[in-house]
Amino acid sequence: MQLVVNILVLASIYALIACGYVLIYRVSRVLNLAHGELMMLGAYLVLATASLFDQHPALALAAAVFLSLVSGGLVYVFLMRKMTGEMVLAAILTTVALGIFIKGMVVLIWSAQQQYPAQALGVSNPSLSIGVASISLWSAALVGVTASTYASLFVFLRFGRWGMRMRAAGQNPLLAAQRGINLHGIYALAWCLSTLTGACAGILMALDSGFTVNMPVIGLKAFPAALVGGLDSLGGALLGALIVASAEVLLIYYVDPLLSDVVPFLVLIAMLIVRPWGLFGTREELDRV
Amino acid sequence: MTMLRVETIEVVYKRVITAVQGVTLAVGERQIVALLGTNGAGKTTTLRAISGFLGLDDARITEGSITFNGHRLDNRPPHQIAARGLTLVPEREKVFPNLTVAENLMAPVPHGGGDQRRQAERVYHFFPRLAELRNRVGGLLSGGERQMLAIASALMCRPKVLLIDELSLGLAPIVVDDLKRRLVAIRDELGISILLVEQSAAVALEIADYAYVMENGRVVFDGDRSRLAGHKDVQEFYLGGTGSARRSYRDVKQYRRSRRWYG
Repeated sequence: MQLVVNILVLASIYALIACGYVLIYRVSRVLNLAHGELMMLGAYLVLATASLFDQHPALALAAAVFLSLVSGGLVYVFLMRKMTGEMVLAAILTTVALGIFIKGMVVLIWSAQQQYPAQALGVSNPSLSIGVASISLWSAALVGVTASTYASLFVFLRFGRWGMRMRAAGQNPLLAAQRGINLHGIYALAWCLSTLTGACAGILMALDSGFTVNMPVIGLKAFPAALVGGLDSLGGALLGALIVASAEVLLIYYVDPLLSDVVPFLVLIAMLIVRPWGLFGTREELDRV
Repeated sequence: MTMLRVETIEVVYKRVITAVQGVTLAVGERQIVALLGTNGAGKTTTLRAISGFLGLDDARITEGSITFNGHRLDNRPPHQIAARGLTLVPEREKVFPNLTVAENLMAPVPHGGGDQRRQAERVYHFFPRLAELRNRVGGLLSGGERQMLAIASALMCRPKVLLIDELSLGLAPIVVDDLKRRLVAIRDELGISILLVEQSAAVALEIADYAYVMENGRVVFDGDRSRLAGHKDVQEFYLGGTGSARRSYRDVKQYRRSRRWYG
């Protein structure tokens, strides 16, 4: 029973991070390798807002989430905007550089030591019991946030006018521009949403058990989840996260805890050999020539 | 009144290749204007210059101007041009393949705002077949249905001038006839202008009020429908009138010149 809860929590973490990769890749074909760092930035922003609003933890959290959204937009406007129309590889390398830059900056500002935003906010993390299993409050919150994020992203992309435009821009940017859709607006929106979801994951993980500057490794481990699902499918990312998380939790439990960092990439390699385009990646080939 | 005026534009690709030279054309209100010519004549380049897609191919308008409703449009980004009310139906990749027909119609941003659902109903009225296929994915439509959807989704932008690249390309004559009738109906009921780029002069001259013929990046000929359809060279080289082997208009000029020079 505890295993199921552990799988669920880990899958939620991976899924929430993976949807950020998927959002940006889907609209602009750019792989955001700074996603892990942007996620960590969210956690550091909580530290900053916690000292600003020290009496109101909810306000501090809301401010941190909002600042993450803004920073995603800033990354697009000041960095990635110049990359539109250039080679995708150049854009990907830019995200790598951005990741290194963010990591360097946070070490400069907050030093490399372990941080506990929950203490800074003055909130506790009680353990809740479900039958025989237990789950910490913030982990439970993470599962809830992931579920509601996916639900709202699904509704937004399927029925929202801007969601429809996002899908359209991802399929054929030229035609989208000709239909009056402002591609820069769409890309900026994707970066904002992606950074927002990533930062939510980072913040909730940090509240649960603290964090260090090595947090982006988790972001990198969520990448196989996105790829297994097919990189351009949100449903795929959800399933991919579940597969990777199950493999990881079960192998840690039955074989060796040290396997934790290896398993996601083993799953990824196995997937790439069998089905390089991922579980749901084929849908792109629907086009008739 | 002139809606769209292209004034002696010159388009240069990669800073060296001049594809269009000194092209001037005008599209009036509620007019259907055809731009004719064979492959490589510069028709599509002219259309791309108007709709703002030159930057992608590393091309630029180096001379001349494009004005639409009194606003300069040359070298502006495509979404701004679309926002002014000039919408392009491209030659290929003209629908969003993974969006349904209904979603293809809802995604475009309307020029000047307005109720998109009502506009969708008006568009379905021109293309009843699309209303039946509402929930079909764009990538699974036939060529003719795709062309209908492309025109329909362009109409969702509420354009004042509709630019159509190769209406008849790859479509059965019966489908083209049907589309031509619908275009005339769209012009009459919505009061918009249409610039039709075509290789097939026979198709274009049936519905066009005015036509331009391009060769080697220049307009070599223009006139209203009756004048062009009655013209000997156009008949011979675009309408296949005399039944001789097909040559380009350039050959005519050279042939005449040589006859003049060598007696």
